[in-house]
Amino acid sequence: MGDRVFIRDDIFKEGPNGISLVANKCTSCGKIAFPKTDYCLHCFNKEMKEVELSRKGKLYSYTISYYPVSKFKPPHAMGLIDLPEGIRILAPLVMSDGGFKVGAEMEMVIDTVWTEDDKEVIGYKFR
Amino acid sequence: MRDVVVLGVGQTMFGKLPNSTVDELGSQAAKKAIEDAGIDPRGIQIAYSARAVDAQVNAQSILKRIGITRIEMHNVENACASGSTAVHLLWKDIAYGIYDMGIVIGVETMTTSSLAGRLIPPSGKDDLNRLVGETMPSSFALIGRRLMETRGATREDLAYPSVKNHRNACMNPVAQYKKPFTVEEIINSKMVCDPLTLFQCCPFTDGSAAVVLCSEAVAKRHTTKLIKIASSVIMSGDYETADEEITRFSTVERLSNAAYEKAGIGPKDLDLIELHDAFSPEEICAYEALGICNPGDGISFMRSGATEIGGKIPVNPSGGLLSLGHPLGASGTRVVCEVTLHLRGEAGERQIRGAKVGMAEMVGGYIAGMTNPVAGGIQILKN
Repeated sequence: MGDRVFIRDDIFKEGPNGISLVANKCTSCGKIAFPKTDYCLHCFNKEMKEVELSRKGKLYSYTISYYPVSKFKPPHAMGLIDLPEGIRILAPLVMSDGGFKVGAEMEMVIDTVWTEDDKEVIGYKFR
Repeated sequence: MRDVVVLGVGQTMFGKLPNSTVDELGSQAAKKAIEDAGIDPRGIQIAYSARAVDAQVNAQSILKRIGITRIEMHNVENACASGSTAVHLLWKDIAYGIYDMGIVIGVETMTTSSLAGRLIPPSGKDDLNRLVGETMPSSFALIGRRLMETRGATREDLAYPSVKNHRNACMNPVAQYKKPFTVEEIINSKMVCDPLTLFQCCPFTDGSAAVVLCSEAVAKRHTTKLIKIASSVIMSGDYETADEEITRFSTVERLSNAAYEKAGIGPKDLDLIELHDAFSPEEICAYEALGICNPGDGISFMRSGATEIGGKIPVNPSGGLLSLGHPLGASGTRVVCEVTLHLRGEAGERQIRGAKVGMAEMVGGYIAGMTNPVAGGIQILKN
């Protein structure tokens, strides 16, 4: 396997369950920060606790871009996923012949999103 | 706080003008506004330019061509709300008695900018949503899909504001596109981000719009038509939460509540609205956020023809961003020009009859994790 880098360094964690998305949670008001923050941006409490985000969520909305976007060639599908932690994230979706359905349960996969300078860039997608 | 009058307005042709520079377009619009105001340019005491992309000392550079130098000048950026922000800052200077007369010049040359030829992404290089492929069209496509899913909006519904605004632009001599389209032509144009097709997305546009504002005392030396800024508000978005529907434009709600309160009016008092229609379906959400219909009723309100010229509350009689065009930094200033023309009775073929009160709204900017757009402005104008 060649060299690999993450799409962004501060959002992944490698653990016994493999690679997951990592956020932190305020120990006072309980709000989640993704990506992680130094202190709670809602109540300004200084103590944050690291949390791994769930790998499954509900598809809130989706679209397919037929133009190149970021480093993706078209068609590129994206969706807003509502995670049980009470946050909504935007993620690439794995293209599906059957299309997408709002409300469907989607599962995260950690995979190469593109190659850059001979390095595989690892990111998150949902399917 | 003093009353502030819109004394002069000016706008260039909007279109793909790759051979026109920022200084050429900006000075054209500025000269028109100064002439329209009937003032000597040396009466300008303060200047603001508005430009979203590739910007540097635009006010100084544009006003060099007008013969205005040395005064206080600022160059303002707030994404698509740059033009509104510049108007707000000048309004504030005059309202609070710091200056008596100034100029705002909004300008953008998009076809030769660093954005040309691609879908506009969030500007932050490490913006998480930018990395995963978000662009302005995709963010509004997600909203369109939500309207279909939760409100029963059809593809025809999503396209309707574009049909209306393209038709309106046929009556606007400076519009980029002056051609009507059927709803089928709009839906069948090239797919950009499903369900948004090309004709449901605003074009890349070059152009400029300028306004001269002054105190009431100064205005009375030049005109009897006192078009006043009844209120001016600028606000920013908040952190995004999963509790809120993306079809609910909470920042626009906050903006309009403040604008109505400061102007002492309600949505029923408006005779026309010019607003951000960069992507067709967002007009539906804006109707609700601005309170011109009840929450959840945007689609049926639109289907009733209420926002057509001649309807209960015309929206975007100019042709809007969709058909008049959207030079990013100019649009917030351009909507103030448009509303002013209607309030003076000078809007030609597209004139809203008897218009006395109008709203100029413009929003813009995208940041991952925020309620987008993150910047917005509203001016309410009264005759």
